[in-house]
Amino acid sequence: MTAATTTYVRRGAGHWLAGLKAMLRWHLTSLRLVLPVMVAVQLLTASGLSIGMSLFYADVDARTGLFLGTGAAIVTLVLVGLVVAPQLVAGEKEAGTYDFTASLPVPRSASVVGWVAVSAIISLPAAVIALAISGWRFDLTFDVSWAVAPAVGLVVVCGTLIGYAVAHGIERPTVTQLLSQVFAFLVIGFTPITYPPENLPGWLASVHEVLPFYHMGVILRGALTQGLVTDVSGSYLVVAAWTVLAGVVTAIAMGRRR
Amino acid sequence: MNDWTFRASGVTKTYDGGKTYANRDISLRVEPGEVFGLLGPNGAGKSTLVKQIIGLLKPTAGSLHLGPHDLVADPDAARQLCSYLPQAPMPIESFKVHEAIRLTGEIRGGDRRQIERRAGELIEALQIEEWRDTLGARLSGGVRRLVGFVMVTVVPGRLVILDEPTNDVDPLRRRLLWDQIRQLGEMGVGVILVTHNVLEAEKSVDRLAVISDGRVVAEGTPSSLKVADRGRLRLQLMLTPGVATPELPSLVLDHTRVGNNLVSVIPEEKAGEGIAWAQQLMSQGIAEEYALAATTLEDAYIRLTGELPADEPEGAAA
Repeated sequence: MTAATTTYVRRGAGHWLAGLKAMLRWHLTSLRLVLPVMVAVQLLTASGLSIGMSLFYADVDARTGLFLGTGAAIVTLVLVGLVVAPQLVAGEKEAGTYDFTASLPVPRSASVVGWVAVSAIISLPAAVIALAISGWRFDLTFDVSWAVAPAVGLVVVCGTLIGYAVAHGIERPTVTQLLSQVFAFLVIGFTPITYPPENLPGWLASVHEVLPFYHMGVILRGALTQGLVTDVSGSYLVVAAWTVLAGVVTAIAMGRRR
Repeated sequence: MNDWTFRASGVTKTYDGGKTYANRDISLRVEPGEVFGLLGPNGAGKSTLVKQIIGLLKPTAGSLHLGPHDLVADPDAARQLCSYLPQAPMPIESFKVHEAIRLTGEIRGGDRRQIERRAGELIEALQIEEWRDTLGARLSGGVRRLVGFVMVTVVPGRLVILDEPTNDVDPLRRRLLWDQIRQLGEMGVGVILVTHNVLEAEKSVDRLAVISDGRVVAEGTPSSLKVADRGRLRLQLMLTPGVATPELPSLVLDHTRVGNNLVSVIPEEKAGEGIAWAQQLMSQGIAEEYALAATTLEDAYIRLTGELPADEPEGAAA
């Protein structure tokens, strides 16, 4: 029987990159049976939301159309990281397979970055389709700037890290699953993404000044349109701060030994 | 050359601010090439120790070393140098068997050609070739277990930890699996085998420790643990449900009752008296069946833990 046993401890950038590549394959293969369904569900939800809004608000001015038309894509980009990671990690905990995954010899950060890429793979096609449908239904032309790359990147990273922080930071999988439902409910119904903050009661609008979800919408709109939103840099700061916070919580939660 | 001996010293884990012990002052050594059994009933603290070794739990006190590496201070090293087959099923529903093996081999830092070669050898040795391209979701529990074994040993660490590796595996492949576990030892890898299958362990381990209530209550070779039972026989009585434990004659040296199962140890030379006592209990309706057998490691286990091994049918008797 031939075998090479592990005789030294790998460290450094090469090990990290190999870990990222391997974990990206691990995550994608783990999701193989559900990934097409997830992408399809996101596509249908995002298209449905776009078409629904265009039917609901049949006759709107160009500015309102632009606001509504970007809404579905933004909701999709914000939600996927927040919901999918917690659901899957909670599922691993329930099935008892969490310990095996945690025992794999890869840098934890490489595994997280791999997961961010998976979130992007699930959400990006749906967001693009939602924009295309809205463009057609509301007769819009988007003014996409270079800032779309950092805006989409930051939103996906922030959403995924918050999802991951919840998934790994909370011991009980049922609580994690509940929280991910709360996120979906909060983002779709009670976050000024598909409507302006003025439509909310004052106190709730103030809460959204601090939470990241509304600001994620602002930076995405800032990158997709011209003159529709103001103080985009302030929103970048809020989302960046949440990204750092969620990253720290994730790092502590994943590195923590009970 | 490193000496890859595994050393646990005074390992303790407490919860609730020190009020509850998950394990207590555990000290062990596993030499390279040794297959070391970790036996004990459920909740004895075996899994806690395993999770401490691979860096999922942090000991409250004590140290864990593998060769030159401090596993408590450096959990990254622990995960790279130890391979771990958990008791729970492997998360490979959507992996084809060969993909799961190759990918874990690569994650474990293996070279692709060597992984292919060793994967092929293990798959053949365990006779699971026909499932090479099958999705994990379609595998039976036993085959999935064997695939898990190949995944974690295709590029084995210096210490391989197997938690109940033979669960669900059919008797034929069970033997093949034991051969491969022995092979790991021959490769110079230390193997920690967590099990409550005492009879299987007796045949396969070089040394073992019995853990009960979080402590090591005995350690040694299977023969050394049986020394105390030399010249003794096991008289196992299946009591009639609901009856109290009968008064024990002086020939009974030791006894344990689990459910309706009364396991007693008697001197070899008093076998006749033992049988007469058992027959008397049956005629009185106190016992339903009895069996007289040579003592095995199970008797040492029962003596040490006060429990029957998990695979022992509660009504076992002849």
